[in-house]
Amino acid sequence: MFQSFAASIADSSLNRWIAETYWLWPVLEIIHFIGLSVMLGALLIIDARLLGMLGTWGTAAIKRLTPLVWFGFCINLASGTMFFIGDPMRYSINIGFQLKMLLILIAGINVAVYQLQLRPRLAGWNTDSMPPIARFVAIVSLATWGGVLLLGRLIPYVGTG
Amino acid sequence: MFGWLETTAVANWVALSLWAYPALLSLHVVGLAIVIGIFITRDLRLAGIVRGVDPRMFATLAPLAWFGFAVNLISGLLLFTSQATVFATNPPFLIKISCIVAGMALASVIHRRLRRQSVSSWQYMAVLSDERSLRPLALLSLAIWIGAIGAGRLIAYF
Repeated sequence: MFQSFAASIADSSLNRWIAETYWLWPVLEIIHFIGLSVMLGALLIIDARLLGMLGTWGTAAIKRLTPLVWFGFCINLASGTMFFIGDPMRYSINIGFQLKMLLILIAGINVAVYQLQLRPRLAGWNTDSMPPIARFVAIVSLATWGGVLLLGRLIPYVGTG
Repeated sequence: MFGWLETTAVANWVALSLWAYPALLSLHVVGLAIVIGIFITRDLRLAGIVRGVDPRMFATLAPLAWFGFAVNLISGLLLFTSQATVFATNPPFLIKISCIVAGMALASVIHRRLRRQSVSSWQYMAVLSDERSLRPLALLSLAIWIGAIGAGRLIAYF
């Protein structure tokens, strides 16, 4: 799936611009790291609240922090797409990248469960005893995004195949 | 001193083990996400960019942020030993460390102010003078942590 897409964008004008502009790659890296901090900081707080770890702070705070998560995610979707276009043949066959994308897919399904099952019922949970499904969603979120961070950082070091 | 550090057993392990360096780098980005993530969210709230979150919640979150910092202090020190003489003269590395020292000092000031808030003050007075006075500190902190990330990424390019 990644390989055929990679082949189709290799040697495109955008690919050549990203690969040949010497300052762009480090700038994209900095943007990607700022994006992950914004996204995962807000998400960590939301997950801690869903686990009942933040005591009695209202669940309304969760809804207020959700836009930050999406903002950080969009920054990293954009900067990450630029990385891929800049070096498609390397990323598409990298096992770290492939597993990272799989984890993001699982995290996305988890977000759908949150949006459909948890979000409508948040207001009724202003206590520190959260229902099992809230804890489940929080743990899946922490595990998948933790894995995304680890795998993302390992991309330059792991084999391809 | 840095030359000696590079010859220690720990430094040799980090430098020569196939997985130690990448494993420590991975741990370092997890710690970064925890500590800088919490601080950036706190700063965005205190700067008034994010609203509707009780700022005292960040005092509750402080131990988690210190945990992230501890993870990065330890993983960072181990990474440092492997190429101590190179890092010690690397301009982005020195800027990064300066940013971290400044950011942590600022965090201790901000969190002391947050802990001091009485129960009623944040809740019932929307535009509290104390909240407003934290605004410049929050914006400064935000700039410092973005600077730390930027400088950290640039270490490999110098």
